[in-house]
Amino acid sequence: MSNVTSLDKSGLDKSALDKSGLQKAGRRRELISFRIGPQEFCVDIMSVREIRGWTAATPLPQSPDYVRGVINLRGAVLPIIDLAARLELGDTDATARSVIIVTHIGPRLVGLLVDAVSDILTITEDQVQPTPDIACDTVREFVKGLLAVEGRMISWVALERVLPELEAEAA
Amino acid sequence: MDPLEAIKATFFQECDELLADLESGLLELEGGGGDIETVNAVFRAVHSVKGGAGAFGLEPLVRFAHVFETTLDDMRSGKLATEPAAVKVMLRAADVLADHVSAARGQGVVDEAGSLRLVAELKALCGGPAAAGADGDDEVVMVDTEVEDDGFGDFDFTPVIVEIDAPAEAVAAATPTWRIGFKPSRAMYAKANETALLLRELDRIGACQVTLNADDLPDFDALDPEESYFSWIIDIETDQGDAAIREVFEFVEDDCEITIEATGAPVSLDDPFASLDTPALAADPEVEPEAAPSAPDDDVMALLERAKLAAAEIQATTPAAAPAAAAPRAAAAPAPAAALHPADGGDAKTAAGTTIRVDLERVDRLIDLVGELVINQAMLTQRVGESGLARSSTVSVGLEDLEHLTREIQDSVMAIRAQPVKSVFQRMPRLVREVAAMTGKQVRLTTEGENTEVDKTVIERLSDPLIHMIRNAIDHGLENPDVRVAAGKPAEGVVKLCALHRSGRIVIEVSDDGAGINRERVKQIALNKGLIAPDATLTDEETDNLIFLPGFSTAATVSDISGRGVGMDVVRRQVQALGGRISITSNPGKGSTFSLSLPLTLAVLDGMVVGVSGHTLVTPLTAIIETLQPKTNDVRLLGPNGAVLAVRDAYVPLVDVGAVLGYSKGPTDWTTGVVLLVESEVGGRAALLVDAIQGQRQVVIKSLEANYQRVEGIAAATILGDGRVALILDVDALIDVRRKDARRSAAPPAARLPLAS
Repeated sequence: MSNVTSLDKSGLDKSALDKSGLQKAGRRRELISFRIGPQEFCVDIMSVREIRGWTAATPLPQSPDYVRGVINLRGAVLPIIDLAARLELGDTDATARSVIIVTHIGPRLVGLLVDAVSDILTITEDQVQPTPDIACDTVREFVKGLLAVEGRMISWVALERVLPELEAEAA
Repeated sequence: MDPLEAIKATFFQECDELLADLESGLLELEGGGGDIETVNAVFRAVHSVKGGAGAFGLEPLVRFAHVFETTLDDMRSGKLATEPAAVKVMLRAADVLADHVSAARGQGVVDEAGSLRLVAELKALCGGPAAAGADGDDEVVMVDTEVEDDGFGDFDFTPVIVEIDAPAEAVAAATPTWRIGFKPSRAMYAKANETALLLRELDRIGACQVTLNADDLPDFDALDPEESYFSWIIDIETDQGDAAIREVFEFVEDDCEITIEATGAPVSLDDPFASLDTPALAADPEVEPEAAPSAPDDDVMALLERAKLAAAEIQATTPAAAPAAAAPRAAAAPAPAAALHPADGGDAKTAAGTTIRVDLERVDRLIDLVGELVINQAMLTQRVGESGLARSSTVSVGLEDLEHLTREIQDSVMAIRAQPVKSVFQRMPRLVREVAAMTGKQVRLTTEGENTEVDKTVIERLSDPLIHMIRNAIDHGLENPDVRVAAGKPAEGVVKLCALHRSGRIVIEVSDDGAGINRERVKQIALNKGLIAPDATLTDEETDNLIFLPGFSTAATVSDISGRGVGMDVVRRQVQALGGRISITSNPGKGSTFSLSLPLTLAVLDGMVVGVSGHTLVTPLTAIIETLQPKTNDVRLLGPNGAVLAVRDAYVPLVDVGAVLGYSKGPTDWTTGVVLLVESEVGGRAALLVDAIQGQRQVVIKSLEANYQRVEGIAAATILGDGRVALILDVDALIDVRRKDARRSAAPPAARLPLAS
């Protein structure tokens, strides 16, 4: 009996929390920005679970070039995507100073290999500019929008596109 | 989740357990075992299902459960003997009850005709009175649902003289009357029993005159909302004797004071006890919060508010005294509380004390973490070893203790996931009954070793192959009764299901005492379907195992049960997917035995760690027949870039693992490295060429699909002692990949495109 009550209570608390979170997200957003070569990119901080240093990955056979392999994240097998290669900016030369941003993409946890993490940005959604059409499929596919912050241009990466297409699996 | 939905989900979970109890109890009775306690347990199971179902307004389920319960009640009271024929009907009733539960849950539908047939059979078992009783109890059900609908909204009752009328014709002039004194304790309410329901039950037995005694009710300030203050005096006219009355109170007799005395003459309606000078109204509001502690807090507060108002009102309007009141609705008001306690059987209580339900994800997380702990500890040991500390140093000794501890933790955690195969075996008796009924064969199922434990992941995936094997055993294995009798066997066939541990694996055997495999026919069918060459000479064992070939079905007519084109090859594939093996042995005229061997867990695997082009890979040990260092002249080149290995005069295709996985480029040097001779279930034997063997160890299996996707040729991943991820080879797929590659490069470009996906 007491079980049921506590369940009920926690359920209520949770929904209350969710609601306040939602309202906040409607007003402003926090983003993490990072560098790949000379360009700056960002992702929503809510999708970032942690940031860690580079460790050598175990390569996966028969996978695209931008999949660097898998590493051990406290017992979970984490695939590492070389974001530079994915965005067709050339392969990252991973060094001890490279960074892995561990992100939630749908139900999956995926590590993104980037050169360095630079900033946490707080923005309101109206600051996001639509991506100008520069006749480049890669940009069209992976850039959700642009942000101008202190004279820097930061591209918002569409995380849901970075994993390889799962068609092969479905077929 | 909506609280009510959550409770409902719990109810269905409990239903599963109750149905399992019900079935095992009935099976015990069928086997001649069991005593009155077993009958009681069976009765309680059905009763609890009915009670919960009533609370949720699941009408069809309640109706069926009620008839079932009534019949069981007769068995409990000894009116109906626990003879096999009756128990058989009940077993089928248990199946239908399970169907009703599934239907109520929104899964599947109930075969209405079958349900009605069983209702008739059950009623026939216990004769006329049961049918009459059924109608009465349906009414009880209506009370449950009605009260639930009303919720707490209908609180504004008015004082009424107590009278729960019995049908006038039921009151015979000279019917004996009884006076029942009933004082429930707080424990009775705590167990979600309900006075109103008891009164309704009594009303079914005979005409009742109910009097409430609320003398013990303290002032509002002194009132303990969880205490029971009321007692009742019930005058009842019944010719069913005091046993029938006692039966009504059976479930609560430990939690109340009860006196039953014969009073002889019928009582008149204006009995002086019918009115007691008590402000009874003020009391009832408290009854509700008392019995409904699971209601959200604010509801309780609201009720207390209303209770205060009600009390004030009573004082204002009837300052001196109010007639005693216990209108049916008022008395029934705490029923929602009963509704929240769907299964208040004694069994559920004791079970709750010894087991807990845990989300599997939490256990898996724990297993992951313990795996990490083991890896960390191994790394630490390695570092300490490298630092040159003496083995006798306190650090090394402490590390050794740590190692023992971590191993013990790992074993204990794995044990959490281990479950007896009973949960799967329990589903089989029903299957056997159904298949037996469909085929018109007589079958008895015996089980052995149902407490054998195996990892939950294995349990979950065991049921499909088992169902298939049992269907096969009955449909194809056992003969028709007349054939059996002609062959000098008992008409009833026996299917035996048996589980045991053997050398770190679980072995499950399904055997029948049927005719065994008709080898001539099997050969003929295999020949007709082009599965074997006409001149093939096969041993008996090889012939028996032909039935596992894809597209093989021995039934002359494709039956509803094991036909449909899915044959034993599907079973074999399912079993192989679990890392297991299946085989059959048959003895003509005596029967066949399917034997299924599975790893105890899908969480760990015994593997051989090998190096390939600078990468570390793990090969499942179960696939490896032997390892060997090939001699230069054993390797024969075949075609432009293929090679075979001569193994004792047989040529086995060589597979360069590094090249297939894309780790090494360029032509293969077939003569260096080590060869793992593997048995693939799809492609026969193959020789895998690797650079070196690093050792043999047990590894924890990690899914690649969880965060990435399937990779061809790779079964899963694991984490080695150095903390790095190593991939586990999928031997079958590896050989398959190689073949596909060969076909692909041979295929014309146009045909390549669809394949490329």
